[in-house]
Amino acid sequence: MSAFAQKIVRFRWIIIIGFVAIALIFGSQIPRSEIESDMKAMLPPDIESRINTDKIDELFGGTEMLIVIIKAEDVLNPETLKRTEDISQQMKRIKGVDKVLSLFELKNIKGEEGAMIVKPAVRRIPKTGEQTEVLRKEITENDIVYGSIVSEDFTLTAVIALLKTDVSDDFMVKEVRQLIEQNPGQEEVVIGGLPFTRFQVTRSIRGDLRRLLPLGLLIMLLFLFVCFKQLRGVVLPFAVVIMSILFSMGLIPLLGWKIHVISILLPIMLIAIANDYGIHLIAKYQEYNYEGNPYSKKELAMNIFNHLTKPVILTGLTTVAGMLCLLGHIIIPSRQLSVLASAGILFALAASLLFIPAVVSMLPKSKPVILLKSDKKPLLEKMLRLFGKIVTHRPKAIIAFALISALAVSVGIFFVIVDTDPNKYYPKDHPVTYAARLVNDNLGGAQNISVVFQGDIKEPRIMNKIDAMEDELKDMTEVGSTTSIARVVKQMSRALNDKEEEWYDRIPDNRNAVAQYFELYSMSGDPDDFEKMVDFPYEHALLTARLNTASTKKMNHVIDRLREKTEDDQDVLLIGGFGSILSELAHKIVNGQFLSLGLAIFVVGILLMILFRSVTAGLISAIPLALSIITLFGLMGIFRIELNIATALLSSIMIGVGVDYTIHFLWRFREERQNGLDPQDAAKKTLTTTGRGIVFNALSVIIGFVVLFTSSFMPVRFFGFLVVVSISSCLIGALILIPALCIVIKPKFLEPKVLKT
Amino acid sequence: MKTYKWLSFVVGALLVFTTLNPQENLTAKQIVDRSFKATKLAGSEMLSTMTIIDDKGRERIRKIASVTKLYDNGETEKRLIRFLSPADVKGTGLLTFDYEEKDDDMWLFMPALRKTRRIVSTEKAKNFMGSEFTYADMTPPILDDFTYETLGEEEVAGTPCWKIEMIPVDEDVTDENGFSKRMSYIGKQDFVIRKAIYYDLDGELHKELTVEDIKEVDAANHKYRPMHMIMVNKQNGRKSILQVDEIQFNPDVNDDFFTTRYLERY
Repeated sequence: MSAFAQKIVRFRWIIIIGFVAIALIFGSQIPRSEIESDMKAMLPPDIESRINTDKIDELFGGTEMLIVIIKAEDVLNPETLKRTEDISQQMKRIKGVDKVLSLFELKNIKGEEGAMIVKPAVRRIPKTGEQTEVLRKEITENDIVYGSIVSEDFTLTAVIALLKTDVSDDFMVKEVRQLIEQNPGQEEVVIGGLPFTRFQVTRSIRGDLRRLLPLGLLIMLLFLFVCFKQLRGVVLPFAVVIMSILFSMGLIPLLGWKIHVISILLPIMLIAIANDYGIHLIAKYQEYNYEGNPYSKKELAMNIFNHLTKPVILTGLTTVAGMLCLLGHIIIPSRQLSVLASAGILFALAASLLFIPAVVSMLPKSKPVILLKSDKKPLLEKMLRLFGKIVTHRPKAIIAFALISALAVSVGIFFVIVDTDPNKYYPKDHPVTYAARLVNDNLGGAQNISVVFQGDIKEPRIMNKIDAMEDELKDMTEVGSTTSIARVVKQMSRALNDKEEEWYDRIPDNRNAVAQYFELYSMSGDPDDFEKMVDFPYEHALLTARLNTASTKKMNHVIDRLREKTEDDQDVLLIGGFGSILSELAHKIVNGQFLSLGLAIFVVGILLMILFRSVTAGLISAIPLALSIITLFGLMGIFRIELNIATALLSSIMIGVGVDYTIHFLWRFREERQNGLDPQDAAKKTLTTTGRGIVFNALSVIIGFVVLFTSSFMPVRFFGFLVVVSISSCLIGALILIPALCIVIKPKFLEPKVLKT
Repeated sequence: MKTYKWLSFVVGALLVFTTLNPQENLTAKQIVDRSFKATKLAGSEMLSTMTIIDDKGRERIRKIASVTKLYDNGETEKRLIRFLSPADVKGTGLLTFDYEEKDDDMWLFMPALRKTRRIVSTEKAKNFMGSEFTYADMTPPILDDFTYETLGEEEVAGTPCWKIEMIPVDEDVTDENGFSKRMSYIGKQDFVIRKAIYYDLDGELHKELTVEDIKEVDAANHKYRPMHMIMVNKQNGRKSILQVDEIQFNPDVNDDFFTTRYLERY
């Protein structure tokens, strides 16, 4: 009996109260946690695209858009126009709305009988069919609204609220919903835009936590009951899971962090992983507590502690090591998840080793649970025995088969897509996706990329440069619509000059002329009409391209092109906008993926080398991991599952968890070899004994993650699916490939040491 | 006894009438009407500075010269404004015929383009030259478009004023002028506005006008002009200041100034 085990029994009350108290104290902090739904907050504040976008907000005010889309057969019919006007009017009065863009707010600049007329795109609602057609023609020629505020086929029109920077999404969405309710009509009305997406994300996070957590716990309870058929076998590992969830979730507000989309994974990961250690202890308890055993309840407690400390700590450490490799990501929630999950797992590890024995030492001895191996899982027995046979007879064929099939699946890797679009969080028929599709296809696009020019904006040289870049952007298929001050100047030039005149549809060639254009405009337009295009002193101008695509790849294409064009250009201050944030996020996800993955393999490999005191051990155990990774990415490519903020976390988590099975196998295999069995028999024996534990362990992880299938978020669902796939491949690797490798290679570290007898 | 009573009543009534300021009997509408007339000059020449300040305190400064003259028995005011600075708009001219009963006529001449363009603006609520002042602030409104009520008296910067509420008669007028209510503080002595508070279409506080440094420009007719006007937009934090640097009363301004031909002569 180790002294430590005795201390556990002696101080059992302190241990029990201590763990419960820590869990309760941390858990009491959970209600304080806030939800973060802003994509921007995923990137550290010192990242270029974030700095640039903040700078744009500072120069030009908020650029966030909450969009109300009104759908009708013809939006120019009087009822629809009236409703649009009412919504537009009343939207202006909502606190937090900086500016409204609609057919009734955006201007039409045109020349008429020697005058330049600036008036709203729709000034009066047409009364006759004839007036409607006149208006239609006018709108078709007004490139401020055509194709962006009204769709080219006139079936959609948008009323856009540009929001102040300090307003909450929750407030705005509720206000706008109320506004729509107060203005009922025949038309379908859809809300869209990033603030709406974030509003939905926040709600979905709450909903997910409320649904997934109880469901996950319930499934885990059932699983534990099936495994142990004993109250304490269910309650104790379950208590460990609950405590570790309380502890790690409570850490979120304590560390000043917020709950992100991928934080949903934290409790689920803990449900799946934190009970692994408890399961081993309970299994061992039941093993010792056989019919007529001589142990007292305290001795039982000390036994399980003594026998399991080492392997449990080792598998716990590799899991934590894998988790911590997520720190290789620059993405904030990934790093936070890494720390929180590691803390939770370490807590679960400590609770399993201290709290469970402490409680066991107090509980009266339970009735032995009879383990009738023959009728419990005959199928599993048969399967494992079959594995043993195949592995021993055709080890080389297995290795060859594993390599070839991995190679075949690896083709899929070339089709892996990186995507960070928050609209893709949701399935196809969800309101968020629906609205995004309407805006992307018909209303100029939902994501924006902006270029800020600096200098004397009224200078024709800079004006022409903005104009040229805008033309180039407009020609790109990814760009749905653009806005800039240069375009307004050109529009004024069309109103001021006749078609045959030299300066029709051109930027004037002298600065004074540009200045006087603006002066003329200021006589009939509103002072804030240009607010989002040029700053007050005319020192900075904003060229905004709205993209009609959500694909990160296409977004990157636009940004790369812009970068190329503006490189070393003194007139260009920066490139920013939400599109650039998504693009940078994608880059960081890919980089973080490779870094954390490489790191995880390396760290876990090193841990195994230390554990078995052999370099070969590290290398051999890396083989099934590598093949699992190849399979994972290959399948992602084949099934078109995108690499996104959630799925990018997978590989390093998988390595930390998946290597456990290899460790268990190698540990037992070496033991059997030391006991004198030849490699073939050792493999067979290991498979039929420890193999069962490995299968149960893997099953508990898979079952734990299965609840993710019901998440509101597509990335989280895919994460769940991929965990199942990758843990299964790690399991198969440990049960078939590793034994085959051990038989073929006969690595030294597994060979029996020279017998001392 | 009876006669004494009667006599004392007559004397008392006389006393009351003579000691009271005759202006006390003016209705709110009359006061506002007099206030419009108090600043109508037969003709003037002026140099002024318009400073437009944004919510971050950045300034845009314009220097302008202007001449005005009343026509049609004071029913039409013609105005010519010429920009002196900044350099990029120097020479830009704005000619306005401000009619009492119909929409104004306006022309803008742009020297860099050598073009004159008519400006069509039926909305008096439009901001003038990108400032917080609107066309409605620059020209007197149609008297019958509003209902008036005297809410009391108040001192503004030491000057006793009537506090008069002005409400548009219907929605069209509201839309056209851009306010749902205006609270005016009109000096009891000179009938010149000292302060005005504007409420937006939702009835929320919108803008505040402060008028300082009032000068009697035409002493014979008791006509005044404020030398310093500040309009603060309480909603967006912007502010505009119109400062009269020099003013000369001149009823004999050359009529040729008020032609597009002269407008383009720069």
